[in-house]
Amino acid sequence: MTDILAAPATGAARGDAPAPASPTTQTQTQTQTQTQIPAPAPVSPAAPESPKSPEILEAPESPETSRPARLAGLARLGRRVRLGPLVRRAPAVVLLAATWEMLPRTGAVDPVFVPPLSEVLRAWYDLLLGGQLLEHFQASLVRSLTGFGLAVVLAVPLGLAIGWYRPVADFLSPVLEIFRNTSAVALLPVFILILGLGEPSKIVFVFYACSWPILLNTVSGVRTVEPLLVRSARSLGLGPLSLFRKVILPAAVPTIFTGIRLAGASSILVLLFAEMVGAKAGLGYLVQDAQFSFRIPDMYAGIITISALGLLFNLLLLAVERRFSTWRTT
Amino acid sequence: MSAHATGGDTGGETLVNGAAARLGGFRAGAFPRHSPAALAPSSARTPAAPSQVKIGIRDVGKVFRTRGSDRPFTAVTGVDLDVREGEFLTLVGPSGCGKSTLLDLIAGLTAPTDGEILIDGRAVDGPGLDRGIVFQQYALLPWRTALANIEFGLEAKAVPRRERRERARHYLDLVGLAGFEHRYPHELSGGMRQRVAIARSLAFDPDVLLMDEPFAALDAQTRESLQEELLRVWEKTHKTVVFITHGIDEAVYLGQRVAVMTSRPGRIKEIVDVRFDSREGDLRADPVFGEYRHHVWSLLRNEVAAGREQERTVD
Repeated sequence: MTDILAAPATGAARGDAPAPASPTTQTQTQTQTQTQIPAPAPVSPAAPESPKSPEILEAPESPETSRPARLAGLARLGRRVRLGPLVRRAPAVVLLAATWEMLPRTGAVDPVFVPPLSEVLRAWYDLLLGGQLLEHFQASLVRSLTGFGLAVVLAVPLGLAIGWYRPVADFLSPVLEIFRNTSAVALLPVFILILGLGEPSKIVFVFYACSWPILLNTVSGVRTVEPLLVRSARSLGLGPLSLFRKVILPAAVPTIFTGIRLAGASSILVLLFAEMVGAKAGLGYLVQDAQFSFRIPDMYAGIITISALGLLFNLLLLAVERRFSTWRTT
Repeated sequence: MSAHATGGDTGGETLVNGAAARLGGFRAGAFPRHSPAALAPSSARTPAAPSQVKIGIRDVGKVFRTRGSDRPFTAVTGVDLDVREGEFLTLVGPSGCGKSTLLDLIAGLTAPTDGEILIDGRAVDGPGLDRGIVFQQYALLPWRTALANIEFGLEAKAVPRRERRERARHYLDLVGLAGFEHRYPHELSGGMRQRVAIARSLAFDPDVLLMDEPFAALDAQTRESLQEELLRVWEKTHKTVVFITHGIDEAVYLGQRVAVMTSRPGRIKEIVDVRFDSREGDLRADPVFGEYRHHVWSLLRNEVAAGREQERTVD
């Protein structure tokens, strides 16, 4: 045990000292080490001379110096198994969870309105076992994916057409400008009026809200293709169709994906609103219904699930995006 | 290199002369009745026969309409220039004199307002694979690897897939980038990117290579080694090269002829024949190189001053 501990500890101590001195500057560096770290200074010059006695080495080292070294070793291990991002991000989340748990327990906030996290998680687990959670989750997922999918399928080609063909852009721009500035939320009553309270109105609502980020990003993706690439492709005698297929489209893909990712986020956002206004299933309905019937832990369980769904969706889209634009330097 | 030394002659003589020079010691035997000294001046005086002119620029002018101004913008006017088959012609001029416009016109990316441009006697009516362009900013597709970028031009030419790959490899090798097939442009240095761009333009085997300040964005060392490489490739491939530059040294070093343009509206001021007895060693230190350089510099000096005056009045 001492061996394992001593090795990284001395290693770290040596690492902290200035770079290995050349023969001429050796004395100088030694004085530097002494002035910089007073406590372990006698140890570090001694370390290389006594490799046979780790016990003696271990003894003068105070716990203050060995613990950071051990932590550093752990961190190095973490980096090696790619736990880095997780380790870096975890503290804030843990802190949030701890705060949520502690504030209601200490009475700083009313535990009736904000129950401790552990209670919320228990409620979540019960909902999961009861099958309600899955049912609501599924309802929401189907609606948002359908609306989102429709938006991708229709808005991307439309955006490409608008970006590429000037006449199409001139013709459609005024109408698009009007609709773009009409909030989707304002149109929900219209969708419900025409399509009823069932699934179609919600899907169309999500579709409408998702279309804009995709459409606008696709248009700008096509419009902002490096003109030099177009010139170079034209100089090769590429016709409009192959120019579009081989230059414009691949160049626009990253921008299009930014739009798709934005749409993914808003698909869940707006759906919850629709589900709160009028629905019999879905996570939005779960949250709203739990609040109406004062099942407060259930309400928070629903909210947590919504966050998780949003996170997952975004991660998935990020992975797809990365797969399609490996060539991007930024 | 020897081909370049004597290659500045007119037309068909170039090939004969070049070949003879390349044969070196055998030349005396091959042409027993001509001494080299007698051969050179006679060929220099021979006017270019029409069939040997690769690019004919006939009284070409280009006028742009500018937004927010009634006055049209004349980029080039009355340009007359013949580029011979297999020739390396460099084009220098003060900035803004319409060099790049002229190149766009030859490439067929824009149409002239006056006059016409002929390639092999036929008027240019659009871009084509008989001309390849190398841009200053490389213009490589960032989502394609080096190899796939070279294949790009071959796809336009409808070369079968397997042959595309083979040819792309060959040209990547020719520009000294074997082993970098699968690198993306952002993983290559500026010099390497320009090599890929040159390989791409060579791969679809155009007769004419149009180069728009291709080495201007590179550092001096990379530029010099690429200049040498370009000459080597040119000697191997016998392309007709039109090379735009604003560097006098570069123009004299590379060109068999240096066409000097006036300030805007650009026209050809003078064409300087460049010929060295030998290109061995440090050519740039050669006094003859210095003379050519000085001559082109004097031609340009007044034009640069005029160009600056013009810019000031426009502002």
